[in-house]
Formats: sequence, structure tokens, C-alpha cells
Amino acid sequence: MILKELQLLTPELSLLVFALLVIMLDLFIKQKKVLVVVSIAGILVSAGFTLSLWGIHATDILYAMLSVDQYALLFKLIFLVAAGLVILASQDYISKFAQFQSEYYALVLISALGMMLMAAAQDLIAVYVSLELSSISLYVLASFLKDQKSTEAGLKYLLLGAVSSAVLLYGMALVFGLTGHTCMPCIADSLKGMPISNIMQSPALLMGLILIVAGFGFKIASVPFQMWVPDVYEGAPTPVTAYLSVASKAAGFAVILRVLFVVFGATAWLSQDWGLLIAVLSAITMMVGNVVALSQSNIKRMFGYSSIAQAGYLMVGLAAVGMAAGSDALGRSGLLFFLMSYTFTNLGAFIAIIAISNKLNSDQIEDYTGMSKRAPLLAIALTLCLVSLTGLPPTAGLIAKIYIFNGAVNHGLLWLVIIAVINSVISAFYYFRIVKVMWMGAPASEEKVPSTWALRVALSLCCLFVLLLGVLPAGFMGIAQAAVKIFTGS
Amino acid sequence: MVFDIAFFVLAVIIVGAALAVVILKDVFRAALSLVMLFFTIAGIYITLHADFLAVVQVLVYVGAISILIIVAIMLTHDARQGSTSGKLRIPAIIVGLLLLGMLVFTVVTTKWQLNNTPPLEPTTAAIGMKLFGEGGFLLPVEISAILLLAAVLGAIVLIREK
Amino acid sequence: MNLTSLGLMPVGLMHYLILSAVLFAIGLYGVLAKRNAVVILMCIEIMLNAVNIALIAFSRYVVPVQLTGQIFALFVMVVAAAEAAVGIAIIMAIYRSHQSVDVDKLDLMKW
Repeated sequence: MILKELQLLTPELSLLVFALLVIMLDLFIKQKKVLVVVSIAGILVSAGFTLSLWGIHATDILYAMLSVDQYALLFKLIFLVAAGLVILASQDYISKFAQFQSEYYALVLISALGMMLMAAAQDLIAVYVSLELSSISLYVLASFLKDQKSTEAGLKYLLLGAVSSAVLLYGMALVFGLTGHTCMPCIADSLKGMPISNIMQSPALLMGLILIVAGFGFKIASVPFQMWVPDVYEGAPTPVTAYLSVASKAAGFAVILRVLFVVFGATAWLSQDWGLLIAVLSAITMMVGNVVALSQSNIKRMFGYSSIAQAGYLMVGLAAVGMAAGSDALGRSGLLFFLMSYTFTNLGAFIAIIAISNKLNSDQIEDYTGMSKRAPLLAIALTLCLVSLTGLPPTAGLIAKIYIFNGAVNHGLLWLVIIAVINSVISAFYYFRIVKVMWMGAPASEEKVPSTWALRVALSLCCLFVLLLGVLPAGFMGIAQAAVKIFTGS
Repeated sequence: MVFDIAFFVLAVIIVGAALAVVILKDVFRAALSLVMLFFTIAGIYITLHADFLAVVQVLVYVGAISILIIVAIMLTHDARQGSTSGKLRIPAIIVGLLLLGMLVFTVVTTKWQLNNTPPLEPTTAAIGMKLFGEGGFLLPVEISAILLLAAVLGAIVLIREK
Repeated sequence: MNLTSLGLMPVGLMHYLILSAVLFAIGLYGVLAKRNAVVILMCIEIMLNAVNIALIAFSRYVVPVQLTGQIFALFVMVVAAAEAAVGIAIIMAIYRSHQSVDVDKLDLMKW
């Protein structure tokens, strides 16, 4: 039995082995480029094991702490892809460090490991510990440069992150106290069939739900826990910002969807309660993100607010899942499709920004003037990603929004979709300001912007998938639908 | 009965120490009241029949975390100059009171499903079985091992000079 | 729980939960109001301790034999220690570059 369980754990175990290997090799190897190769090898091996498990019947392992199912496997792939692309894109950036290169790669791998465990965790204790595993690695990564801005970003991220996990814990404690269980299916069992009239006798359930949503809201950068985003995104090393904006957010959604759906989704009225809560938060999140993004002059800060807005769109999908009260598989798969699309799009945009800011040493949008002449390929790639973030054809962003909004309309959230569409129009202003600056203005200097092979590979992969998801969405939608099958009622 | 009286004595000290942490202007004194707080919470754990946790509380919080915090205060000189409140003081009081009201309402009105079985004592062996035995929490133990490794790595990276 | 147990004796689950709620609220107030990063970190520890009291009280009164709450609290302590270590390390790094740990003075970027 143990051997069988270890086999199901190979994606995590192999990643851990490679992370340790990276730290060890650093002691003996002068040529630091090897570390990148080893890290990428680790990602590939782990992704290979993950793929080999694809199609498996959902199995609980390690005394029902983890569930190995398609849903977790898909998210593991998303985290691995994000970590791999970030490592490729940071190679040039990190190679300037005199020391601690191996620790950087190891921490990226370890935080990916934490997220992989988060997506699979079936028990509140396991959720909490793996959440902290990824968070602590990310706190360190955010302050990795040790200069003023970076340490400040790290400190703010850590303090707010710790407060939010205390809030999350209080919510978990209340739910545990009410039901006496920490394993999510057990909690669902003891809540099942609870009539709505009982809520007056157990407000702890609602309070726990609110605190848990608030705690995870920090991870996905939803209002009212969005205030860390712009500062941390601006101060952290750019590759880490890319990683935070994509992988950390996806991990938040992976775990929030599982917790809400498995624990609080079994009872219809409870499910609609959190659906409505998320819907309201979603509307505010989109507005805040988009409106404040309009006035930003720093591109990383702007992308911070943009990622808050994108979290708002994702929450539209989450709200639809709640309103559907367990009956709608399409809504959930739309959410997963949006996450896939967002991962490639936002990473692509950030990789282009990494390349450009390496040369410019500046993150001001005005310094991107005339970039189409200095780095035509980077400018094309960045434009493509911005088009996708806005949600225009022929890119992944459009299809993703159609799926999510469609699901929301089907479940009586028309008002929310109208707000979301208005917000998409607002977002076009700031996304296209960058496009305009890059293609219309005259460059300040004629000097070309160089980029390494690793970065080009990463960027072309992102662009390829942005187009693929936009042109041939059916295949990816199929994968997303296979992934949500594990939830009951679909 | 002894535990009932002990609870009230400890609870008064705990609330007083916690208030001292947020009110005292001298950071060092605040840290010392924090140590006091950690210590009395270990007492609370004993009244809850959690003997192992009480010892761990003393070892980890009083022994490790307090020392870390005090060292940090000693090393960052201006931290001794004072723990002043920012401009958010009034909103913070309101938020704190609101949360307190909500939580107290929640815990008082909720019908907890109490179980009258006498608590297990001593708990050490049982906790060990729970952590490492069949049907237990082996996975979180392993994850915390990696977590501590990540924290050590991180602390080294951040503290070493450039 | 009925009204008779709202009295002071005997001490029950509710007493512990109210103590925990008071501690949690004090901690949250400190986090929001204080400017010194070390003090904010101390207040976070107060909040985590409040959670632990609630967990252990639930463990005692709801699942007295399974000890799940105590195990949960044990993991919270482990994580709190790791978080405090990393937090102090970041504060040291920040002190080196700013000569200050006042979060309001860290005004390169707005809080």
C-alpha cells in the first residue's frame, strides 16, 4: 500500500529531490548555468510523472490527507509550467547575482511543491501547512534582492500574509469546532442535510466561511485584501512578480474552489450564500483593479492592479459555481480554462517585461516608447499578451471570458457580467496605452534590446499557447472538463 | 474547581499582557509582556488537559520565538525608541471591536456539539501515534520538515551580507 | 449551551472561546495600529496564539479523545516559528538598507 501511495506522490517527490539536488550541486559546481538545467530537468521529470498519472481514478492517499485526482493533476501541471517558464525567464536576471543562485532556484521549486500539495490537499491541516510552505518560500523570494524596495516588498508581503493566514486559521478553527473534523469530505458529511433554519443556531458556520474566504482572498488578491499587491509586485524581483501573479494566484483558486465546493458546496443554500458573497467581492475587486490601473505609470504596478482585476473576472466564475449549487460542471471548467489562459498570457507579458527592463533598468511605461523598433519580437509578443488580457480575438483571453461570462449568465448573475464587460472596456484603455507607446512613439535610443535563448524559448511557448487556446479551445476545454469530473454531481 | 479558578486568574493575566503588548510605548517592555503572555497561555493549555502542548508552548514560544524577537529588538536600535501608533489607530479600534463583537456573538449563540467524554491524559503518546501512526498526520509532518528547510534557507539568504 | 452556563462557573468551552476572541481582536488591533514592524510581528503571534487556544479548547470539549485540535495547534506553532524566523530575517535585511523598521517610514512605496 505504501509503495502504491508513493507512486502517486512521484510528482512531488521528484520535484523535492531536484530542489535538494540544486542546493547540493551549488557547493561543487563553478558553472552556475548547470543549476538552471537541473531545475528545468526537475520540472520536466515532475511534469512527466504528473502526466503519467493523468486519467487516474481519484484516490485518497496518506490517510486521506491528499487526493490524487484530475483536478489536482491539472493544477500541478499549471504550477510546473509556471515555475519552469519563470526559471527560464529569470536565468539572465539571476546570473548577475554573486551568490545564492542555487537558493533562488531551489526556493522557486519548493514553493511550486507547496502549491502542488495545496491543490491536492483534502484536509484542513494539510491545506494550511502546504499553503505556508509555498508562502514562506515566496516571502523570501520577494525580498531576494535585499535592496530597499525588495526587502520592503518582502516585509509587507510577510506581515499581511501572516495576518491573513491567522484569519484563515480562525475560520478553520470555527468550522473544526462545529463539526469536529478537519478532513474536508468528513466536514461536508456532517454539514450535509443541514436545513437553512439551523443557521441561527450555528452562526459559527457562516463566520467560519467568511473568515476562510477572507484568508484565501489574500492569496488570490481579492478586495479587501488586495492592498499588498501593487507594492509587492513593484518591489519584488520581476521574475518573482511574474511567479506571484500567476502561480500563487492559481494555487489560491485551486484551494478555494476545492474548499468551497467540497466543504460548503454540499448544501444548496450554503453554496448560494458563498456564491453571492463571492459575486459581490468580485464586482468590487474588478472595479478597484481596473480603475486604479488607469492612473499607473510604473508597468509592474499597473500589472499588479491588472492582476487584481483579472482575479475579479475569475471570481465571476467562482460565484457562478456557487450559485449553481453543484449542478454545473461547465462553470467550473470555464474557471479552469480561464486560469490556463491567464497563466500563459500574464507570464508572457511579464517575460517580455523582464527582457525589456533588464536592458532599460526602468519599469516606467514611458520608457517603453518606440520599443517596436528596438525589439520588434518582444513588442509583438507583449502586444499579443495585452490583446489577450483585454479579451479580444484571436487570443485565449476572449474565449476564456466567453466561457466564464456564459456560465455566470446561466446562473442569474447577469448584473455581474454587465459589470465585468464594462470593466473589460475600461481595461482596454490601460492595456492599449502600452501598445500605443510601443508602436507609435519614437524611441529614446536606437540600441537593440537583447534577450537570451532561455527567455526567447519561454516567451515563444507562452505566445504559442495564447494563440492555441484562442484558436483551438475545444481540446483544452476537454482537459478542463475532465479535471472537474471529480467533484460530486458532475 | 482548581482549574476553574486557575482559568480566571490566567485569563486576566493574559488579557492584561496582550493589552500591554499593544499599549506600552517601550518595545522592549512590550516584548517582555509578550513572553509573559506566552507563558500564561501554557498555563491555559494545562487547564485544558493539553500537557504536551503546554510544554511545546514553553519550548517554542517562550524559548525560541521570544528570544528571536528580543534579539531583533536589540539589533535594530531604533526599535527601542518606541512603539507608537500610526494614523490608523481609531479605525483599528473600531475594526477590532467589531470583530470582537462578531466573534463573541458567534461563539455564544452557536450550539456546539459538546462531548462529555473525559479528556485523554497524558497526551504525549497519543499525539505521537496521531502524528506518525496509522490514519494519522504523517503528511503534514513531512511538509513541515520541508517548510523548516525553506525557512532556514530563506533566513540564511536574507541575513548574509551581499 | 443554555443560559445557566453563561454564568462564570463552571468554566466551559465558551469561556475559552471568548478569551480567544478577545486575544484575536487585540492582536488585530495591534497589527492595524502599530508602526514598528517588530511590534506588528508580535501582534501576529498574539493572533496565532488566540487561534491555538480556540483549537485546543475545541479539542478538549468537542473531540476529547481524537486530539485533532491539539495536532492542528502543534502545526500552527511549527509554522509560526518558521514565519517568525523569516520575518525577523527580513526585518534585519530591511534595517540594513533603511536604518529603520518603522513601516510608515518605509515610504518608497505607500503602505
